[in-house]
Amino acid sequence: MPSSADSPIIELRDVSFSYEGGPDQDEEMALSHVSLKVGRGEFVGVIGPSGAGKSTLASVMSGAIPHHYRGALYGATIVDGNDTCEVTLTDISRVVGSVLQDIDTQMVASVVEDEMLFGLENFGVPHDQIEARLEQTLRTVGIEDLRDREIATLSGGQKQKVAIAAILALQPRVLLLDEPTAALDPASSTLVFDTLRKVNRESGITVVVIEQKVALLSRYCDRLLVMSHGSLALDGTPRQVFAHAEELRKIGVDSPRVARVYNSLARRGLVRRGDPCLTVDEAERLIAGLVGPHPAQVAEVPEARAGSRHVPPQRPHSQGAQPVVELSKVCFGYPNGGATVDDLDMCVYPGEVVGIVGQNGAGKTTLTKLLNGLLRPSSGTVRIAGIDTADVPTSKIAAHCSTLFQNPDNQLCKDTVLDEIAFGLELQGVDADEARRRARVVIDRFGLPADEAPFSLSRGQRQMVALASVVVMEPDVVLLDEPTSGLDYRECMTVMETVTQMAERGCAVIMVCHDMEVVSDFAERIVVMADGRILGRGETTQMFSDADLMRRAYVEAPQVIELSQALARDVSPEFAGISQVSGIVDLTEGMVTRA
Amino acid sequence: MLNAIDYVPGNTLLHRLNPVTKLALAAAIIIATFLANTYAMLLGLLALTFALGVYAHSASRLVSLLKLLVPLAVVMLLLQTAFVRGGSVVFAWMTTEGLTTGSKACLRLLGVALPLILMLTVTKLVDLSNACVEVLHIPYRYAFTFTTALRFVPVFSQQMNAIMEAQCARGVEYDTKNPLRKLQLMLPLCVPLLVSSVGKTDATALAAEERGFYLRTRQSSYKRYPLTGRDYVVLAACVALVVLGVLA
Repeated sequence: MPSSADSPIIELRDVSFSYEGGPDQDEEMALSHVSLKVGRGEFVGVIGPSGAGKSTLASVMSGAIPHHYRGALYGATIVDGNDTCEVTLTDISRVVGSVLQDIDTQMVASVVEDEMLFGLENFGVPHDQIEARLEQTLRTVGIEDLRDREIATLSGGQKQKVAIAAILALQPRVLLLDEPTAALDPASSTLVFDTLRKVNRESGITVVVIEQKVALLSRYCDRLLVMSHGSLALDGTPRQVFAHAEELRKIGVDSPRVARVYNSLARRGLVRRGDPCLTVDEAERLIAGLVGPHPAQVAEVPEARAGSRHVPPQRPHSQGAQPVVELSKVCFGYPNGGATVDDLDMCVYPGEVVGIVGQNGAGKTTLTKLLNGLLRPSSGTVRIAGIDTADVPTSKIAAHCSTLFQNPDNQLCKDTVLDEIAFGLELQGVDADEARRRARVVIDRFGLPADEAPFSLSRGQRQMVALASVVVMEPDVVLLDEPTSGLDYRECMTVMETVTQMAERGCAVIMVCHDMEVVSDFAERIVVMADGRILGRGETTQMFSDADLMRRAYVEAPQVIELSQALARDVSPEFAGISQVSGIVDLTEGMVTRA
Repeated sequence: MLNAIDYVPGNTLLHRLNPVTKLALAAAIIIATFLANTYAMLLGLLALTFALGVYAHSASRLVSLLKLLVPLAVVMLLLQTAFVRGGSVVFAWMTTEGLTTGSKACLRLLGVALPLILMLTVTKLVDLSNACVEVLHIPYRYAFTFTTALRFVPVFSQQMNAIMEAQCARGVEYDTKNPLRKLQLMLPLCVPLLVSSVGKTDATALAAEERGFYLRTRQSSYKRYPLTGRDYVVLAACVALVVLGVLA
């Protein structure tokens, strides 16, 4: 038997791969010279910017390369003692169970039970064992109550669990997941990772998960692989990896905020390098230890809060200015039931960045559709730039309100990037030459290839094309629907910096976003939604500090705000209200030197 | 969004029949509709379909489908009356013979579409494909292709919806009242739809293979689909329906 207890379950020996029809040999390969071993029972996270080869790595591990995708493969991949080139994909998948990125394409049935049966039947599990396996797997994943449900009626988080359960029922020894939480809100993402941890600890199944959310990875993984340009850049425990803050930033990978606090303290010589904290508790203990018991002094707080590069400069607004977006007593219900929104009131002024936060299904998307005119309120009024949306067609509202959709592919339809970006202007009646001239200016600013077909670009670049076609419109209001999903850290920052610049020029920005760190960094005000209602609205830090409000909306406050609250409670009230890493670090340094 | 072909859960006799029997029943109604030549029989068959729909709690689906089909049927009626001339003139160009052929063609159109939809609303696609494999000995890959194609219909219509919304928010006039203009605007969208559907089908094929698709045989299905007494009764009724269609 090839499988002995201590041999790795997956081993890559100097593996390189380039897709057929992809770049030539001398150009960058999708995967180049990757060697690694995944041990039995490990919980491994894979992170890296888009285009770094994460999905390709997953395909090599699952056997989809070389059996499904064509291309040039070098080196050897050994799964449970067998070279993946010498056994069939079906045999590899008995060992490695994969959950795809787009789970809708993976589902074969309309009811949960049938979905689970498909694999069990195919792999010839004796029929008298199937019932027990089904029950056990449903119990492990915690979805016994969903067994007879229609998949179409499930929430995103529930669907993801069904997809995991359907693979888990086959009792693979490795579970391989490609961005399982990309479409989920923070609460559901945590639940999915809880499930993975349970499977890993209780059933000893090796878990390999590709993920962009660093805070989740650092909390759940034993080991992190950082990919960059097709090769393995870093490999170690989350603590070891996040100690390399500088390198990660160059690669384009975010670090958890508490790790950033630690790394900044280390740079200023307050703590020794190399052992960053990964949770809010650890960071609190660390800082409490540094500053010691401290008497309440309320002195330098305002200074401590200033100076972060992410804090947007205060813009002149709301004083005497007319709101550009005005919702009053807006209600809406879909004709066939489902989500409704009730009694929404809000005003947004020119130059403001407003975040909308809440769980999946809280009514955030409905709110954005009411704003860009895709839906009309059943009662109440929505006014955009002085226009009542009930009076004008959606296509006319587009001149004032541009939307950046979560999926850029839904809005690309032209043959070249130039045509694509000029298209929106032409639709608003701008002369074709003028539209192209303005489009070229924006294309140059973003450094996009003007004559290429949008669909031939990478996902990140397609999002940039979509962003450019929003920027070129110079609208009064920009709506962002999950601007960070599917983007890596660097692309995400480009998007956010671009819209911040637009806001500085007087455009109102409204963003729906699950990434609370991004919201806390860029939004001045937030609107907290739950169950189709607005629970609270106000200044960002103040809202996030309201623990009761956050709990009612099922929103997790950003790490830095949780940390500053904990410190304010247990160490010194001076920490209250700090929302930036630099604020915490400056204050800590101040207190240490003062002491 | 619920779709016309989605399964409506229930526990009526119609739900409990073998999927193959249900398929035969739908086929029998359709064949009888084609063979029948009297109003009484055509209307009778439609009434039978609706009665079964009411019984299986999916009549609302049939009605919503009817809303789509009736305009189509009216167009067909007008065309038929224009082409079939004979008998005495009733109104403008319409003749008695034209009206008779036309109206029967309309009834046939409805009579063919509705039983199929009814059958799909009372059968889970998985059961349908498994039963076809077990009872009719259809190779699984064909059954899988067929059910996957049906399953993709709502997926693609959602996708199309998302694309239309995105384009509309950009200022493309999908909210125009002119249907021809709308159609003209929709054509360029086939590109993004095609790009995403090719990607989706490829992923589906990969996922199916990774879950042992190629190992599946006729014996694989956990659930069994034997033909029982009530199935034979319904099958006999199917034969009777067809015979009735020939006679009527």
